[in-house]
Amino acid sequence: MTTAETIMLLVRWWIIIGALVATAFLFVGIDRIDEDARGAYIFRPLLVPAILLIWPLVLWRWLILERGAENWARRYAPPRASHLIVALAMAAAIAIALWLGLTSRQSWPADIAPEQLTSPEGASE
Amino acid sequence: MSVKYIPVQWNPNKWMYDGVMLAGVALFLWIFVHLAPGMLSHERPINPQIHNARAFGACAFVMLTIILCIGPLARIDRRFLPLLYNRRHFGVMTVFVAITHAMYVINWYFAFSPTDKYVAALSTNTDYSQALGFPFELFGIFALVVLMILAATSHDFWMKFLTPPVWKSIHYLIYPAYAAVVAHIALGAMLDAQNLAFTVIAVIGGLTVAILHLWAAISETTRSDPKGTAANEGWIRVCDAGEIKEGFAKIAKLPSGDRVAVFRQDGQLSAISNACAHQNGPLGEGRVIDCLVTCPWHGFQYDVRNGQSPAPFTEKIPTYQIALDGTDVIVNPVANPPGTPVDPVPVPQEAQA
Repeated sequence: MTTAETIMLLVRWWIIIGALVATAFLFVGIDRIDEDARGAYIFRPLLVPAILLIWPLVLWRWLILERGAENWARRYAPPRASHLIVALAMAAAIAIALWLGLTSRQSWPADIAPEQLTSPEGASE
Repeated sequence: MSVKYIPVQWNPNKWMYDGVMLAGVALFLWIFVHLAPGMLSHERPINPQIHNARAFGACAFVMLTIILCIGPLARIDRRFLPLLYNRRHFGVMTVFVAITHAMYVINWYFAFSPTDKYVAALSTNTDYSQALGFPFELFGIFALVVLMILAATSHDFWMKFLTPPVWKSIHYLIYPAYAAVVAHIALGAMLDAQNLAFTVIAVIGGLTVAILHLWAAISETTRSDPKGTAANEGWIRVCDAGEIKEGFAKIAKLPSGDRVAVFRQDGQLSAISNACAHQNGPLGEGRVIDCLVTCPWHGFQYDVRNGQSPAPFTEKIPTYQIALDGTDVIVNPVANPPGTPVDPVPVPQEAQA
């Protein structure tokens, strides 16, 4: 199995597990941990894509809320202080990417005659 | 603000915002496909699949660039705040445009072979040793996955469920994702030296985002809220009572790193957390009307005397014990649990303006 095939297999399993978590969370868990969700059903399908993508985080938060182990003070700790570091890192990455792109530009080799490729051994037409 | 969750909390402003946005997307695609093929180096014959892939890709890049500019512009100049109001719809629309771009690419360049098209997209080019010919698709895949996560977690439920700091940390991924989009273009479409127009758009867009974010971050650092100074019995001095204008607040940093906002309303002082329960917006930059402060970012409201949103809404923020030492306003740096009522303190006569 190639690396690409392995990655796609992992992606499929990630989504299958995410679907199981979504089923359990949206039919059982959400009513237990959020009073604003009780009786509100129409919005729940909107949550499915996120659960498929970040189901480990959903399980982690669900467990904390089920245990009543929420630290309320942490809800009010804004992460804005790290904006300067993030902005610097992003600016540097953009500058490097643009520099690499601009120094590697090339013209289309229009003067090269087209070449008829042969099909690989055993490939069907 | 929510009582029971609903899919989308529509209002006339959001309809207008989304209408303008959709019209902008349609106009961009129409110009790209029908009016400007020559300008965009499409004079060589290409099929509609490739043309559409380029149109949606360019549109997604421009949309993402605008989204990334709104945040720092709103921090630099408050007149841009209305653009921040419904930015999440802008983001969700961008994801759909980006997915359309990806589908056009995958269903053309990686289809028509016995190999699965997604496997083909990941395995066709694995030469990571040079800029020219680098598998730039990987940058696009990374950015697309991030954008999908951000769009999927944009409903208010996720903010409450994950907590604002966790949600914000996830949404910080937009920064590496944007850098990846620039790299995707720089090592992909931009390598064609005959394609000048899109090169100019990519360079101007990328540099504008980088400069605006640096500008906003540096100006926030230099104009940072003052630190509270130590007062009696571990309390913290915020400012002189006379410095607080009626209807507004003074913000101070506490030793814990949290910010307290002290509001003056009808000659009375109240102290609440500066971080909105919604997205940690700066409540101290909002104005108080009838004891309710409105967050300048998304309009959430709280009673400054108890940190509670007006009924029937249920959002709450921490409050702080407040007192006067002469005309100095002092607060207990240990926050009260969210929604705890605190008796306001009258502004002393000598500090009344």
